[in-house]
Amino acid sequence: MKTLTLATATAAIALTGAFAQAQDIPVGHLADLTGPTASIGVAYADGISDTISWYNANGGVDGQQIDFETIDYAYQAPRAVSIYQGWASDDVVAIQGWGTADTEALVQFVEQDEVPYFSASYSGALTDPTGEGERSSNAAPYNFFYGPSYSDACRALVQWAASDWDENGDGSTPVWVHMGDNHPYPESPRVACTEYAEELGFEVANPIVYTLAPGDFTAQCLTLNEIGADYAYVANIAGSTISLLNSCANAGTDVQFVSNVWGYDEQVMRAAGENADGVVVAVRTESIWTDDNPGLERVREISGGGDYEVLSYIAGVCSAAYMVEAIGGAGEAGEISGPNIRAYLESQTDWVPEGLDGVCFPSTWTAEDHRGLMTVAVYRGSVNGSTEGQEIAELMNNGTMALDPVAIIELPRRPEWIGY
Amino acid sequence: MAGMTFRPSGDFRSSYAADTTIFDDRFSRRFVVGLVIILALVPIPTVFDLGFDVLSRYWMNLLVSIGYLSIAALGLNILVGFTGQISIGHAAFFGFGAFASVFIYETTSIPVFFCIPLAGVMTAAVGLIFGVPAARIKGLYLAIATLAAQFILQDFFARADWFSGGSHGSVARPLEIFGYSFRSVHAYWWIVLAYVVVLYLAATNLMRSRDGRALIAVRDHYLSAEIMGVNLTKYRILSFGIASFYAGVGGALFAHHNLFVQVESFTIFFSILFLGMVIIGGLGSIMGTIFGTIFITMLPEATEAVAAMLRGGAVDRALNLGSALNYLKEMAIGLAIILFLIFEPEGLAHRWRQIKAYWKLYPFSY
Amino acid sequence: MEGLRLGFLYQLMLTGLIIGTLYGVVAMSFALIYKASKVINMAQGEFLLIGAWICWYFLIEYQLPFWIGFPLTLVVMLVFGILLQIVVLRPLIGEPIISVIMVTIGLSIVFQALMKWLFGVSPQPYPQIFASPNVDIFGAQIRTVYVLSIAVSLVIVGGFAWFFKFSKMGLAMRATAFDQQAAQSLGVSVKSVFAMSWAISAMVSAVAGIVVGVVNSVSSDLSFFGIKVFPAVILGGLDSIVGAVVGGIIIGLLEHFAVYIDLFAGVGNLQQIVPFYVLIIILMIKPYGLFGTKDIERI
Repeated sequence: MKTLTLATATAAIALTGAFAQAQDIPVGHLADLTGPTASIGVAYADGISDTISWYNANGGVDGQQIDFETIDYAYQAPRAVSIYQGWASDDVVAIQGWGTADTEALVQFVEQDEVPYFSASYSGALTDPTGEGERSSNAAPYNFFYGPSYSDACRALVQWAASDWDENGDGSTPVWVHMGDNHPYPESPRVACTEYAEELGFEVANPIVYTLAPGDFTAQCLTLNEIGADYAYVANIAGSTISLLNSCANAGTDVQFVSNVWGYDEQVMRAAGENADGVVVAVRTESIWTDDNPGLERVREISGGGDYEVLSYIAGVCSAAYMVEAIGGAGEAGEISGPNIRAYLESQTDWVPEGLDGVCFPSTWTAEDHRGLMTVAVYRGSVNGSTEGQEIAELMNNGTMALDPVAIIELPRRPEWIGY
Repeated sequence: MAGMTFRPSGDFRSSYAADTTIFDDRFSRRFVVGLVIILALVPIPTVFDLGFDVLSRYWMNLLVSIGYLSIAALGLNILVGFTGQISIGHAAFFGFGAFASVFIYETTSIPVFFCIPLAGVMTAAVGLIFGVPAARIKGLYLAIATLAAQFILQDFFARADWFSGGSHGSVARPLEIFGYSFRSVHAYWWIVLAYVVVLYLAATNLMRSRDGRALIAVRDHYLSAEIMGVNLTKYRILSFGIASFYAGVGGALFAHHNLFVQVESFTIFFSILFLGMVIIGGLGSIMGTIFGTIFITMLPEATEAVAAMLRGGAVDRALNLGSALNYLKEMAIGLAIILFLIFEPEGLAHRWRQIKAYWKLYPFSY
Repeated sequence: MEGLRLGFLYQLMLTGLIIGTLYGVVAMSFALIYKASKVINMAQGEFLLIGAWICWYFLIEYQLPFWIGFPLTLVVMLVFGILLQIVVLRPLIGEPIISVIMVTIGLSIVFQALMKWLFGVSPQPYPQIFASPNVDIFGAQIRTVYVLSIAVSLVIVGGFAWFFKFSKMGLAMRATAFDQQAAQSLGVSVKSVFAMSWAISAMVSAVAGIVVGVVNSVSSDLSFFGIKVFPAVILGGLDSIVGAVVGGIIIGLLEHFAVYIDLFAGVGNLQQIVPFYVLIIILMIKPYGLFGTKDIERI
């Protein structure tokens, strides 16, 4: 009992003390730094906290500092709800969230409290602010994310695959297959994406299930061989992609893997080595670390002179920058509040946060449509040589690993695609 | 480990009725009734807009969580602590209750108020089905069979579009009574508190009945119980049913608080947390279940608060803790379970009795 | 090939056999602990993880060749197993089953966090250990490391058989498993038998962990393997070491047969879930598994 009273007392102190200074702008940041998605969550969370710190160090938002608190919720939805309620008591004006678990659990809360929620879950279900879309399940007026939705990223890859097949295919009907766990996140784009694949003339095979936790996926690779798949969309996260690529290299699978935004990055290339060669991936940002442009100089400054930052880091920078700029916009329009931030976000068209041109794609959110981005960069990863014992920065610099742009896909903003 | 048989020396009972009272003496009855009344008063200023809050949303949310979790944990304690059956799949039944309540509302559109107990009944039915193997399987084999139940039900949630909305999950409606919406966490607390009081009283009374004693007999020595005429199969399956009913009601209360239910919430880790609550609280102790739930719910909050205080402070800089704090936080729950089992195997309920005994005799220790 | 797709089935079964053997190895180390000390070790998956990380650390940080790093890892795991038993599990002798299960669950949470803390959260590849990653066996590409793991497992199983049959310690362990009190009264140090069983189990798990690490790269998700072991041990019977290996192989085959069925049925995820259905069905028919000892109680 003694420990319990002590614990509650300290909790009370910490929570009242968290947002002490009144003139600061309270913002919440939910991250998975230790849970099952930590392998991709840490870089994204670093991107966000580095960016907000950078704005604070460079004058804040019109002189006001952003008081943000990063809390690790280890991908447990109930923890996210609890942390959120703490922030709601402190009247945060916006939240940077993380995955499917927390974002979906909080949709109704943020709507009720009018707190814009920037997630790194890009589920298509979050893109309909009115709930009136043909296929959308419910309204998510306060959910925003920077980047294409999972469904749209997958559609872009379908489109890329169609043109790739026209150039390099053997004239037969190409076979498209969706691969992912039986889990909300990988399942999110499945129906939307396979429908589009059918529309573009693909033969769509039964989805192949492989777990989010890495394992031996030889069976899945043999299935790929057996059904004669030409394009396999990998919908899981990095760790399980590594296993899949290794298993399939071993099973001699000849298929073009196309990956969602969280499934393939520099870490996967390093861990899977040459087995990761040739995978095509949807990228959220206009440039990657090895590019050179003024916007990227800003990103380097934000990272504090870091060696190399992966794709997700830069996406995190964009997400945070859009939020900070919208807070500034809300401040100019009047009071800094959730509804004003939302109004600012929905009033701009084709905009990029100041100083990040060439890094973030111009995005547009409107009151009827929260699909901020219909543009998807498609990259191909190449690994030519052993990655053993070297860090990502070295490998990218000496050319053992490279990410090369292959296409930029502009998807049509079809009304029937909203919300799913 | 028997909860009701523990008595300090000198505490004599002269009748069977006295032996089965819910509260030992008038003071503890008044204390509990008073506590419930105070807890019921807490949300009033917020709900009726009196301009101040007794407890902020953050604390109310924790109270509500403790409420519905303690109901489900009590179910598990009836199963594990009173009947001696091990279940490593309790979260799946909790989840089933959550989905069932939403499902009942969506298909029949009867008011949410009635959906919650109905979800409990539906979960109890499922629990009875999964309890059938328990008639034959014992001990560790049973523990692993319930582990299988956990994965089978989780797979079912992700698959059954008609029932759970599939992997996308389903949206729950807030509870309404005569047009008044219990959407805010403060108002919802009344509903949860009412369920806690009713179900805890029901459990306490169950344990005073013939059926309750039969359950304890099954736990303590099933062969002797059988010889005395206790129908083993019936009581083993029944305890699964009761446990699932409690889990289902807890889950349904969770659903209409959270307003969104998704398969991801009901993992094996959550099942382990339920076991943690029961063990830390005290196996076979009804009050202990609440203590255990409070402990497990508050532990991450407390470690988070401590971490927030240390972060950037002098200790952090001196020891260069940095990201280690996050891992220490994650470890805390495992450490708590281990330390409790090694140093306080009887749980918080035992400690609570000791504290009571201490104050009863204060200032003399005997 | 069309129709029944027997070639596909053949390849799947071969993969299933190999992966099943790996399950069997882990299940064996699990059953060993249970047989000796009646403890269900829910942290078995973390044993794999720890072994994989330690070996990785030797190979990467100290640049040791595999044939030194590997035995060194086994030595570390041996010490680890003994220490764990002495520090955490010894105080729990005589406590109810549920307490012991919970302690091992607590241990798994602690180890999980500790490993992430020490080695980070991003997956780390193993260096190239074998000259060629694959070997051709009966027309199927099999990874060299699997072949090695089967060889090592055979050696371990053979060693076990010899150990239990002929060595004094093995005899003591068998005696303890048979009747703890009788063994104790005959002068067997039950404590050292318990410690020994944990040590052996940790070592065998480490072998499996390294194999999985070489195949998939090491990350904390590797401990998921520990869950796979339950259907296998239940199938074989908790206290049967041979049963555990057989159970593992059956589960491996079953999983891959489920993939084959899935190709026609298109249900999805059968691979993951079928073992658990089979587990329940088997327990309904044979409550002590296929090879487990039936618990006869006298009043």
